[in-house]
This record gives sequence, C-alpha cells and structure tokens, in this order.
Amino acid sequence: MSTPLLEVDSLDAGYHGQRVLRDISFGVPDGGLITIIGPNGHGKTTLLRAVSGLIHPMAGEIRFEGKALGRSRVDQIVARGIVHIPQGDMIFSEMTVRDNLMMGAYLPVPYRRADANLKEVYALLPRLEEREGQIASTLSGGERRMLAVGRGMMTGGRILLIDEPSLGLAPIAIDTIYGLIQSLKEAGRTLLLVEENASRVADLADRIYLLDHGQFVWQGTASELDQHDEILETYLGA
Amino acid sequence: METVVQILVSGLTLGAMYAASTIGLSLVWGAMGVLNMAHGALLTIGGYASYSAVLHVGLPWYLGLPAAMIVSFVVGLLIYHIIFRFMYRHPAFETNVIIATVGLAIFLEQVTLLIYGAYPFLQPFSIEEGFFVSGVFVRFQNVVILVLAVATMLLVAALLSRTRMGRAIRATALNREAAQLMGVNVGRVFAQVMGIAGVVAAISGVMLSSITTLAPTMGYDPMLKAFIICVIAGLGNVPGALIAAFILGLFEAVVQFAVGVRFGFPALLLLVIIALIWRPYGVFGRRQVRRV
Repeated sequence: MSTPLLEVDSLDAGYHGQRVLRDISFGVPDGGLITIIGPNGHGKTTLLRAVSGLIHPMAGEIRFEGKALGRSRVDQIVARGIVHIPQGDMIFSEMTVRDNLMMGAYLPVPYRRADANLKEVYALLPRLEEREGQIASTLSGGERRMLAVGRGMMTGGRILLIDEPSLGLAPIAIDTIYGLIQSLKEAGRTLLLVEENASRVADLADRIYLLDHGQFVWQGTASELDQHDEILETYLGA
Repeated sequence: METVVQILVSGLTLGAMYAASTIGLSLVWGAMGVLNMAHGALLTIGGYASYSAVLHVGLPWYLGLPAAMIVSFVVGLLIYHIIFRFMYRHPAFETNVIIATVGLAIFLEQVTLLIYGAYPFLQPFSIEEGFFVSGVFVRFQNVVILVLAVATMLLVAALLSRTRMGRAIRATALNREAAQLMGVNVGRVFAQVMGIAGVVAAISGVMLSSITTLAPTMGYDPMLKAFIICVIAGLGNVPGALIAAFILGLFEAVVQFAVGVRFGFPALLLLVIIALIWRPYGVFGRRQVRRV
C-alpha cells in the first residue's frame, strides 16, 4: 500500500500540559473515508484540532503528503490542503451566505478558482444558492451545517476533517448531510470524519477507529464492527 | 437663521472629526476585541507629521495630509509588530493591550514634547478662505473636513464590505478561529487593521489641528470622544458609530451655544450615562456581538 495522504504517528496532544490523546496512530489514504467514533469528551475534537494546527502535538508527528506538519501555523496548514470543518459550524454569523462561502476561497489558489468552486457547491447544495444573500445567522441548523461543509469545499482542500456533522440536527437534516458526505466520497474526496455514534457513518467508512479515554481501543471495518456488537455496547452503550 | 447655520456648521464639523477619530478605534475593537489606548497618539503623530512634512521637509501644504497618512500607517504597523504581535495569542490579551498601549501613549506624547516642545504650532494643511451662508462666514476648511470625513467613512466601509482583505477582517472579527481555519493569517489581519487605523487617525489628527492648533496632548480629547461614541453606538459597530458621531457633534454644538462652551463635554457624558442605563450594549449595539 502506498503512503497514506495523512499520517498520524504516535501522537500525544492536549491542553495546558494535560494530555488528552495518548499514542494515537492512523492513516487516511487518498480518496478514503476514515471515521473516528467514541463517546464525547474522549478526545475526538482534540485530535482534529491537532491535525489542523489549532493545537500543537506534545509528542509524535503528523505528516501530510509525506511531509511533517511540525509547528506550522493554522493558515499554513490550510494552505497545504488540510481543511477542518469544526464542531458547531463556526460560520460567520453576521455575514451573508455568499460571503461565508467566499471566505472558504480566501487563500490565493482557491480564490482564483472561486467561481468554479462556487458553482460546484451550489450544484450540490442548491439551498445555499437560494439563500445566497441571506445573513448566515438566520439559517436553520441544517442549513448552517450545509454552509459549513460548503465553505470547507470552497477551500479546494485535499482532505476535509469533519467534526460531528450530525450533531444537534433533526433526522431529516442528518439525512441531507450524510447524502452530501456520500457524494463527496463518490467524487473522490478524502475525508476524516468524527462522530459520537457509528450508526450513520459505518457503511460509508473504509475504516473505523474507536477512541476511548484518549486512546484507540478498537479498529476495523464496518462489517467487523457488525460482528462485534459487544464493542459498541461497552464503549457507547448502544 | 444665523444661529442655526452657525450651530449646523460647527456641529457637522465636530461630528465629522469625531467620526474620523472613531473609525480607527472602532475598527480595532471590532477586529481584535481590544481598546487601543494609543489611538490618540496616532492622531497626534499624524498632525505633527503633516506639520513637519511642510515646514521641515518643504513639501507643498496640500501634501501634508498624505505624508501624515503614510507616517501614521507606519506607526500603526509598528504598534502591531512591537506590541500586539506578542500578545494576541494570550488569553489576557484585552487587558494587556490596554496597559501596554497606555504606556505607549505616554511615551509617544513625551517624545513629541521633546521634539516639538509645547508650542501651539498651526497646522499648515488649512484653508483660511471661505464663503458666506446667510450672513455666516464658513471656512473652506470646514467643508474640506466634512468631505474628507465622509469620504474616509465610505472608503473604509467599501474596503470592509467589498474586498478580499475586508472580508477577512470581518470574518476574523466574527470568529477568529474559524477565520484561521479558512487560511486567514490572523496576525496579518491585525497588522492590516492597525495600518488602516493609523491612516484614518492621521486624517482626523490633521483635520483637528487645522481648526485648533497642534499640541502633544491633542489626541486625548478626540480619543475620549471616540470612546463615548463607541459606547453609545455599541463597540465595534462602525456604521452606528458614524451616525452617533454626527448626532453627538450637533448635540455638543447646541449645548455649547445654548448653555455655554464649557458645558458641552459634561453634557456628552450625561448623555452616555443615560444611554448606558437605557441600552447597556449601546444604542445601536447588540448583545455580545462584535462586528466591523
């Protein structure tokens, strides 16, 4: 197997000297969809924050296209093609939908392709085109999530890190978001997805990692997960 | 009729100057969430830079303003690179910046005093001629001030709403972390904001000294008025600040005429207290929302 696009190697990370993640290693192959599941408060978001450079690793290394990220600034990591769609959307609430999307195309390279990317996003998410001139804070929860994903797509990044895309959404909106994730996967995008619950992501994921108390306690494919109901029961109470 | 024209001219001129002093302060607050206490010093530096450009360098008087804009732009960038750059990642950024910039303001004031002394020089960027409006003499300078202030506001507004840089400034103001995740170098945005604040401060410094005189402490009063306007408008709200600036300018002119010049400022403070009791987040302000 060739080198994965994103490699996390023996990573320790946390906040204010407190380790949240211990010895995390995994890889995301080009065009693959990797999912990390686990209960809340066990380090899933911390892991994504470490990859996107919002926090720096305490030990271990993160490599992208074979090159270590080191202590690069967040914007430099984005420029290399790692795009983090954070939990809770973090859309620019007082800006229009279009301005939000254009912020996704902020860096020079995507800025030159902004028109084409915008068409692509609108084709996939026609609701955003309808709401183009609307102030983002007036959108519904599902629309905000779509906007957050659309804004991430505008960056033209090589890999999208999506943090809890279904969090706090109504079932119908969750369907839409997962429909969107499926089309991203079919379009050959590389995705790293974090979810509390495996039920929605299992079938899409190439590989699933279970994160508990800051460590991977299990990994495998969706069908393997099906054969081990006790795993989900133990760690997620499902 | 003469009285009305007089109040209007003086009120609009005051309002225009207050507006110009407020833009920079409000922009810095909106984008970074900090009060730049050295904003007044940027004004003062602008005023003296124009004076020196004409008197010492020998430029024609009308190049005083562009020279001042360049100098204050550079000083604004320096404030970022010497102070803000090392502080903005720290959780106590907001308090630290207030303390650091108060110190810087005192330092810059003393440097100005050392170089120029306390002599009240006249601003060369000034037009003495004028015209009459129903028996009242209006200097062209007042018109220039009004036009410059309005043009500055429109330019800053266009910059914020229509350019890639302006969009990044607004995005950083709304959610710094999300802006970073879009690839925005927050440090560079802050530097840009300080540069713009410097340019705008220079404009208001030159305008202010053109109808009074230069003084090392000349920046304090407009900065205080800018605070008042920011508080009334809601901190970080640029359009609200502009409306508030003109209302307060006219209000002060009316009070100065009707009650007495020395009551103008106390009346403004009284208005602030009332406004804050009535609307704690500012008359046009919204709860916990920072924006530019």
